[in-house]
Amino acid sequence: MHAATTVHADHVHDHIHPAPEGFIRKYVFSTDHKVIAFQYFFVGLFFLFISGSFALLIRLQLFDPAGKFLSFDTYDSMFTMHGTVGVWLVVIPLVTGALGNFIMPLQIGARDVAFPWLNMLSFWLFPVAGLILFSSFFFMTPHAGWTEYPPISLSYGVGTALWCAAIICIGISSTLTGLNFTMTVVKLRAPGMTWTRMPLFTWATFATALVNMIATVALSAALLALFLAVVFNVPFFDPARGGAPVLYQHMFWFYSHPAVYIFILPAFGVISEVLPTFTRRPIFGYKVIAFSSLAIAILGFAVWAHHMFPSGISPWLQLPFMIITYAIGVPTGLKVFSWLATLWGGRIRFTTSMLYALGFLIAFTFGGITGIFLAAVPADLHEHGSYFVVGHFHYVVAGGAVLGFLAAVTYWFPKATGRMLNERLGKLGFWLFMIGLTGTFLPMHWLGLEGMPRRYASYTYFAATHPDAVFWNRVETFSAFFMAASIALLTINVVWSLWRGRVAGRNPWGARTLEWTIDSPPPYYNFKKIPIVFGRPYDYTEPLPYQNLDHDVDPYPAPTAASFPLPAPAGAG
Amino acid sequence: MTAALVERTLALLGAVLVGGTAAVQLKNELPVHGLDAHVAKVLLGLMILGCVLAILAALHVLGG
Amino acid sequence: MAVSALNATHEAVDARYNDVDPVYAQTRDIRLTGFVLALGADCVLFSSFIFAYLYLRTSAPAWPPFVDGHQLPRLDTSFAALNSIVLFGSGVTMHYALENWKHLKKAAFNGWLIATIVLGALFLLGQAHEYLSAAMTWQGSSFGASFFTLTGMHGFHVFIGVIYLITLFIQANRGVYTGSKYFGLTAGTLYWHFVDVIWVFLFFLFYLW
Repeated sequence: MHAATTVHADHVHDHIHPAPEGFIRKYVFSTDHKVIAFQYFFVGLFFLFISGSFALLIRLQLFDPAGKFLSFDTYDSMFTMHGTVGVWLVVIPLVTGALGNFIMPLQIGARDVAFPWLNMLSFWLFPVAGLILFSSFFFMTPHAGWTEYPPISLSYGVGTALWCAAIICIGISSTLTGLNFTMTVVKLRAPGMTWTRMPLFTWATFATALVNMIATVALSAALLALFLAVVFNVPFFDPARGGAPVLYQHMFWFYSHPAVYIFILPAFGVISEVLPTFTRRPIFGYKVIAFSSLAIAILGFAVWAHHMFPSGISPWLQLPFMIITYAIGVPTGLKVFSWLATLWGGRIRFTTSMLYALGFLIAFTFGGITGIFLAAVPADLHEHGSYFVVGHFHYVVAGGAVLGFLAAVTYWFPKATGRMLNERLGKLGFWLFMIGLTGTFLPMHWLGLEGMPRRYASYTYFAATHPDAVFWNRVETFSAFFMAASIALLTINVVWSLWRGRVAGRNPWGARTLEWTIDSPPPYYNFKKIPIVFGRPYDYTEPLPYQNLDHDVDPYPAPTAASFPLPAPAGAG
Repeated sequence: MTAALVERTLALLGAVLVGGTAAVQLKNELPVHGLDAHVAKVLLGLMILGCVLAILAALHVLGG
Repeated sequence: MAVSALNATHEAVDARYNDVDPVYAQTRDIRLTGFVLALGADCVLFSSFIFAYLYLRTSAPAWPPFVDGHQLPRLDTSFAALNSIVLFGSGVTMHYALENWKHLKKAAFNGWLIATIVLGALFLLGQAHEYLSAAMTWQGSSFGASFFTLTGMHGFHVFIGVIYLITLFIQANRGVYTGSKYFGLTAGTLYWHFVDVIWVFLFFLFYLW
C-alpha cells in the first residue's frame, strides 16, 4: 500500500474543498463542472426549442411554392437565425459544454476541470451571447444566412453587427472551454491513466478541445473584420477600395470547417462508449479510433475551401482541397468500420441509447457519403447552393451530432441524476426522430440534384418545372413535426424522470469507465480517493482495471435490475 | 540633420545596445529548464531578430 | 504495481519548484501551460489578420495602392525603427526586472519595472504620432484597413499590457509575491515578450516589405 500512499500525497488535487453553500453558489454561480454541465444542458435545450421552431416556420413557408406564410424578409431572418442558433447556441454548447463538462472529468478520475472559474465564465457568456443575438429582433435581425457573407451582410448593418457581437461572445466562451478541457486532459488524469488507457469519449473531447481552442479564435477574427466593415466602413471586403469578398469566405471557413468536427468528434466519442457497453464486447481498434480523432482534428484545418469551390478561386486551389477532403473521409471510415467490428458477434441489448447509436451509424454514414459527392469539384459546382448541401449537412448534424447527443443523454442521465429515463418514451422518441429525419432530409438530396436552390423563400419556378417538387416539400414539412414531437417527448421524459424515474444506482448498464464506480448522482467532489488506473476500460473478459476506488465494486460489472424491462443478458443476476 | 537621420542613428545605436543585451540575457537563460524559460528564450531570440531588422532598416538595407 | 506506471501521468513539472511546495509546483505548472496556450490562441488572432493583409496585398494591382488617382506613400521607416527599439528595450528591462525579483532585489526590480512601463507608454505615444501623421485612412483603402486594424490590435494589447504591468507593480509592492511564488510576474513577462514579438512581425510586414 506504500505506492498508493506515495501517489496520494503527490497528487495536488487530492484535497477536497469544502462544499459550496447557498443557492447562488451551488446552482447559479457554481464552479462545479457537473452543475455547469446541467446549466449548459438546459440553456442549450431552450435554444434547441427556438432553433427548431424557426425550422418549423421555414418548413411551413415551403409547404406552398409561392411562399405566402411569411414575408420574404422574415424568411431570410428565419433561416439565418435557425442556422446561427443551431450551430452556436445549440450543438456546440451541448456537445462540449454539457457532455464534455459532465463526463470527461469523471472519466479521467479528476475532481474538476483545470480552471473551474474559467469554466463558469465560459458558461455565463453563453446566455449573454443569446441575449445579444435575440436583441436583434428589436432592432434588425441578421439576414444573410448563418454564414453572413459580405456584400449582402453589409446591407443589413445593424443585424450583422449584432450577429458578430453575439458570436464573438460565444466564441470566447468556446475558446476558453477548449483551453480548459485541453489542460484538464493533459494534466489532471488519475495516476496510471496513460494516454492509451483513456476512455474514448475523453480522447474525443481532447481532440475537440484542441480544435475549439485554435479554430474559434480565427472565427472571432473573421467576425471582427466583418464588424469593422459594417460599423466603421473598413474596406476589408469592398473591391472598390482594395478589399475582397472572398477574403471573408476564407477567414470564415477556416474556422467553420473545423467547427463541424467540433460538432461530430464528441458524438464519435459517445458511440465508442455506448457500443461496447450494450454489446459487452471490447471496442475494436481502440488505437485506431483514438488516433483517428486526432487525425480528423488536424486534417480538418486543411479542407476549408471546399465550401468555396464556386467562389471564383483558382483550380490550383480547388484541387488540393478536393484531395484532402477525400482523404479526411479515411479516418472517419476507419472509425465506422471499427464500430461495426465491435458489434460483430456481440449480443446487442436494444436500450434507447443503443438505438440512437445504431441510428447514428446509419444516418451519419449516409451523410458522410454525400459529403464525398460534394468533395468532387465538378459535382460540387452543380450541387453548391442547392438542397443537396442542406440534406447533406442536416444528415451529419441532425443525424450525426444530435443522434450522438441523444445517445449520450439517454446513456448518462442515470449517472447525472440517479434516475432512469423511461424506456418506452425513449424508444418512441427515437423512432419519431428517425422517421422525421428521413422524411425531412432525404428528399432534399434529389430535389437539390434536380436544382432546387437553398435559402429561397419561394420556389414557384422550380415547382412549375418539376412536378413532384411540391409533393416532396410537403413530405419534408410534415416529417419535420415528427422530429419536433421527438424532442418534446425527450423533454417530457427528462422532466418526468427527474422526479419519478426509477432509482438508477451506481452502474445500471454494467459499464466499465470510471464514472460508473461512483454514486449517481456523483458527490460534489466526485472521488473521495483518486483512483489508480492500470489498464484500458473496454475488455469485458478482464476485471475492472482500477484500484483505490471509493466503494467496493464488482470487478465484472453487469447490468442491474434498474435497467429492466430489458431482457437480462445471460449471466446477470 | 533631418529628423529621419536622427531617428535612424538613435535606432541603430539603440538596436545594438538592446540587441546585444538581449543576446547576453538569452545566453544566460540557455541552461535553465522549465516551460517559462523555454518560451522566454524563443521570444527573446525573436526579439533579437527584431533588433537586427531595425538595424537593417536604419542602414537603408531594408524598407522604404 | 510499478510506481513508474503510476507516475506515468505526472508530466515533468519545473524542478525549480520541487523544494518549494509540490502542490504549488503542480498548480503553477497548470497555470503556466494554460497561459502559454492562451498566448498561442492570441497568435491565431493576429495570424488571421496577417493572412487577410497578405491576401489583400498580394491581390492588389499596386502597393501601396492608389486612392483618388494618387498612389499612397510608403510608411516612414525611420520613426518606426526607433519606436521598435523603444518597445524591444522595454522587453529587456522587463527581463531584468524579473531577474532582480528572483534574487530578491526589490529596489532594482521596481526600477526596471517602472522603466518597462515608461518605455511601453512611450511606444504607445509613438504609435499615436504615427497614426496622426499617416497619409492613408482606415476607410480609404485596403492598406489603411490592414495597417490600422493590425497595429491597432497590437496597440490595444500593449495598452492592456501596460495596465497589467502597473497592476503587477502594485501587487509586488503590497507583498503578494514572494521570492519563490511569483507566477503573476512570470506571466506578465511572457505576455510582454509576446507583445514584443508580434511587433517584430508587424514591423517587418508593414515597414520593411
